[in-house]
Amino acid sequence: MSDSSDMIDPSEPADLPEAKNLPTGGGRDAMATLRRAQQLVRDAQAAIEEASRVVGQGHAPSGEAGARLAAAEAECQELNERLAEVEHQVGRLMTLYVATYQLHATLDPVEVQSTISEIVLNLVGAEQFVLLLADEEGKACEVRLMHGEPDLAWARAGRYEGGDPLLDAALIDGGLRFGPSEQSPALAVVPLRVQDVTVGALVILKLLEHKPAFVKEDRDLLDLLGAHAASAIFAARVYSKTARKLRTLESLIRLVNKGQRDKGGGP
Amino acid sequence: MNAAKNRKVLIVEDSRLIHKMYEMMLRPSTLVSAFDGQDGLEKLNQTPDVDFVILDINMPKMTGLEFLARMKATPVLANIPVIIVSTHGKEEDVERGLQQGAVAYLRKPFQREDLLKIVNRIESKQSLA
Repeated sequence: MSDSSDMIDPSEPADLPEAKNLPTGGGRDAMATLRRAQQLVRDAQAAIEEASRVVGQGHAPSGEAGARLAAAEAECQELNERLAEVEHQVGRLMTLYVATYQLHATLDPVEVQSTISEIVLNLVGAEQFVLLLADEEGKACEVRLMHGEPDLAWARAGRYEGGDPLLDAALIDGGLRFGPSEQSPALAVVPLRVQDVTVGALVILKLLEHKPAFVKEDRDLLDLLGAHAASAIFAARVYSKTARKLRTLESLIRLVNKGQRDKGGGP
Repeated sequence: MNAAKNRKVLIVEDSRLIHKMYEMMLRPSTLVSAFDGQDGLEKLNQTPDVDFVILDINMPKMTGLEFLARMKATPVLANIPVIIVSTHGKEEDVERGLQQGAVAYLRKPFQREDLLKIVNRIESKQSLA
């Protein structure tokens, strides 16, 4: 549970969305299980309230009733904990779904980069980060996206040619790295892959003030970015180039047709 | 408390990604989407029957705090509960928002449970009123 709000303790578990709004398959099964768990919690809570009411009216519980009450309370507590855990998992999966959905929702390269930036800022909670992609020769990386004005010479120059051991290691072996270390200010280096080839990296340099460290859910998001961010950028670039070529070809065809009509005097 | 209730919520937020997050988190609620403060005021005037507003502070054209001030100055809109959402952790913005009448705040990144707890609390108060 994060501390990102002025939360109060809930007295009851939150209800879940209707089944008709959920994805099919495992997600629907999981939500059905959750809904059943919620009902069990409510039943147990009702039983406890009823028992408490009876006790409050002066009827002391017998040994057997007391034992049943204690068992019901323990079961309720356990179910509440399990429900909270499952609800947390549902929230985590929603975050991953939304990030993936939005990354591939457009074929405009600028919008794709903007989405990556929004994910890193709003879902991971990073204040400073740089997105690097390998240049055409593959000898260096170009800065494609920068947020928060990091105080790094290579970031300001717009080009990374090596020198940060954490970043170099991630680019070489494609493994996610967490820092910082003596030689590297990076808090995390996420290698970006397209068809199992590392083509760049997302370098996170500073988190938002109210986020002291990465949490375990961030790892999933960073893995997702590693697998999807570069392919989304490449797909958008390829589409953009293809669309531009198509427009050029169409213009040429129109010109040729117009020339033929002018020459032949046709319609 | 019923998180699956079909409420009507105005989302004032410049990020499409976060709009999508709210859509998932608040299902099956009806969301009215606005992408800056000005847009938010227009949408709120068109649909003043929203149950509450989720308002980002940092937005282009008109910030969340400006939106909040104008909304609270309009009698017919002044009693709609507002949850403010901040990214950069500027405490003074959050404090100003709460002073201007927001009922709660969230700081990004937040979890679904955080949002639902606040929504449940608002609805508990509304049902008691």
